[in-house]
Amino acid sequence: MHPKERRSAATRREFLARTGGAAFALSGASGLLAACSNSTDSAGSTVNSAGQKVGPGGLPLARPDRRVTLPLWEQPIPSGMEPETGGEFTVFNYPAYIYGKLLKDFGNKYNVTVKVTPFDDINSGVQRLASGAVQPDVTEMTPDNLDRVVAGKLIKPLNLDYIPNLKKNVWPSLADPFYDVGSRYSVPYTTYSTGIAWRTDRVKEDIENMPQPWDIFWQADAYKGKTALLSEVRETIAMALLRKGHKDINTEDPALVNAAVDDLKQLYDICNIKVGDLQYETIPEDKAWLNQAWSGDMIAGYLYYIPNKQVGSNLRFWNPGRGVGPIQNDMWSVCSTTKKPVLAHLFLNYMLDNGVAYSNFVNFNGYQPPLTEIDPAELVKKGVIPETLANSVLTSEDLGPDSLQEMTLTSEGQQLWQNGYSSFISGA
Amino acid sequence: MYPRWLWPVFALPGVLWLLILFLLPFYAVIGVAFGSVDQILFTPIPAWNPLDWNAGYVSQVLGDLAPGGVYWDVALRTIRYVILSLGGCILIGYPVAYYTARHASRTKTFLLIMLVLPFWISYLMRMLAWINLLSPDGYATRFLSWTRTSDLLLHMHVINDPSNYLSGQSFTVILALIYGYIPYFILPLYASLDRIDRSHLEAARDLGASPFRAFLHVTLPLSKTGLLGGAVLITLPMFGDYYTPNIVSGAPTTSMIGNQIDLYFHGGPQPTIGAALTIILSAFLMVLMGYYMWTIHRASKELPQ
Repeated sequence: MHPKERRSAATRREFLARTGGAAFALSGASGLLAACSNSTDSAGSTVNSAGQKVGPGGLPLARPDRRVTLPLWEQPIPSGMEPETGGEFTVFNYPAYIYGKLLKDFGNKYNVTVKVTPFDDINSGVQRLASGAVQPDVTEMTPDNLDRVVAGKLIKPLNLDYIPNLKKNVWPSLADPFYDVGSRYSVPYTTYSTGIAWRTDRVKEDIENMPQPWDIFWQADAYKGKTALLSEVRETIAMALLRKGHKDINTEDPALVNAAVDDLKQLYDICNIKVGDLQYETIPEDKAWLNQAWSGDMIAGYLYYIPNKQVGSNLRFWNPGRGVGPIQNDMWSVCSTTKKPVLAHLFLNYMLDNGVAYSNFVNFNGYQPPLTEIDPAELVKKGVIPETLANSVLTSEDLGPDSLQEMTLTSEGQQLWQNGYSSFISGA
Repeated sequence: MYPRWLWPVFALPGVLWLLILFLLPFYAVIGVAFGSVDQILFTPIPAWNPLDWNAGYVSQVLGDLAPGGVYWDVALRTIRYVILSLGGCILIGYPVAYYTARHASRTKTFLLIMLVLPFWISYLMRMLAWINLLSPDGYATRFLSWTRTSDLLLHMHVINDPSNYLSGQSFTVILALIYGYIPYFILPLYASLDRIDRSHLEAARDLGASPFRAFLHVTLPLSKTGLLGGAVLITLPMFGDYYTPNIVSGAPTTSMIGNQIDLYFHGGPQPTIGAALTIILSAFLMVLMGYYMWTIHRASKELPQ
């Protein structure tokens, strides 16, 4: 068994043996601990009565080729109500992931003060929502966390009558997505693929034309200390799986996940790999040369962090493409804690307005909204992005049933992946 | 006469502060470590009653901390970094505290202000400043290169890339830890050295001790409690530090045990593992703290009544 395959509980004998061998064992505590070792419940049931794997709350696991309609835990708000006005309206989101001017405009339109409460990452964000530490009106969400927040009743069902922009402006693949058929709880916000970003003035390999571009990280000895992977459990391990030709990036096979982690560990010696999520800044500023990255990063880097156009022309992004590399999207949902449910719906509609979403994209975060109006060729023509980064812009077809998306795992699967990542970042 | 209850009342705010803001949260961490996890939201379900404790996670983490376990290397690395950083703090901090306490006269106030100055700026800001200083064209990197210190460090295998201190090197993490924590070390040490009665030193010199022997046999033993106090004050937070290696390195090969705690507490299905790591680390630190308390107790007994 791989050391990172967790066991949920220990027998008294196992416990005493481990305690005795542990470096930090506390002689006084071991007896007490052993006496208390009487319960097992680290993992709930992850298989339903039909023998199929299920996610949190027993909900079916959605996949691009397996559409899931989420159950309604309450009825959506009725149509035709007036929006609430006055007071505060809280948006729960990543820091610096939404254009402040747009929030201000929305606040002015409905006479509310819009406030952003930031979270570090979506997992800790969900944890804070669940604990009641925050009580926002709307929250950013990701498809792989949707089951949890629905089963935990943290987000409200939507009444799409208030969100006409969804059908009007959004890609068909995300106006009725596989993970939330009928858009019962979410509308899309941004979309991005995971690929490789690099500087052509530093990295000499023709990455895009390599037989397996992910191999570049295993050949990056010349870029030691200047090479990094995303600081994300799913992205790093998925990349190592894809490199070896395993396209099921939602696998829960311990052998595959652990082999991928072992492959990642080879990068310590090859290039003293780093982990972090600042590639949109470090690559343009020459602090890093080669990074695993999201497609929005180089656009954001080009828009904000390049010192001059010359550097901008050196930025490249390898977009693996449909069915080859991961592609994801972020979403908006209305929180159960909202006191302004109508306004929250209108906010979702506002963020899907062509002008608003486009402005958020090109004037602030660089992450593309999935709008039919956005055309990569047009963006290049207008000079918004250079031709060299045109491949960072995605199309609706990229999200077909054969696309690779990191989706919800069973509870045991999530433990397996988290433990694998823990092993990787331990540096051992 | 004052009523008997008057003086204990003065301690009440401090006791309440400790109870509410330290002991209660710490017990919550223990409850989480011995509790379970909500299978839908992955929020911890603390076991408040010790009779309901589930030792599975703590035992699992203890096993993983054993030689060959998942956390063995990162635990050893953490101990190594803390010991080297402590050594650096002593080597740099002791002479500074000694000079300020014993030899600075007109400059004493200025030096004390300089020692307190770092407290005015947040730890994170001070760390972030190093990013620019240690970047390939940063002032610190250029200075180290100009003075040939980089070559020397490379020759001694202390660093492996003299042009890029931010490339994920242990030396940089240790340097940052020393820089970040040294003010907390110097101040208690200074206070301890400043309190030493000069007549003890004069007696040693009168009895024929050289300045060095007087330092070795009088000043050093008398500053032991300050030395230990400063050491405890910096080693305890250093053991749980995760942002320093994140900021100045980012490489898994320089991560510390705090990074593991951060990972498990930062969302995901196993907050209990993070809590278990936390209480085991705390228990380990309590051993160090216990030694410090015992030393203080012994030193106070040795004081003339």
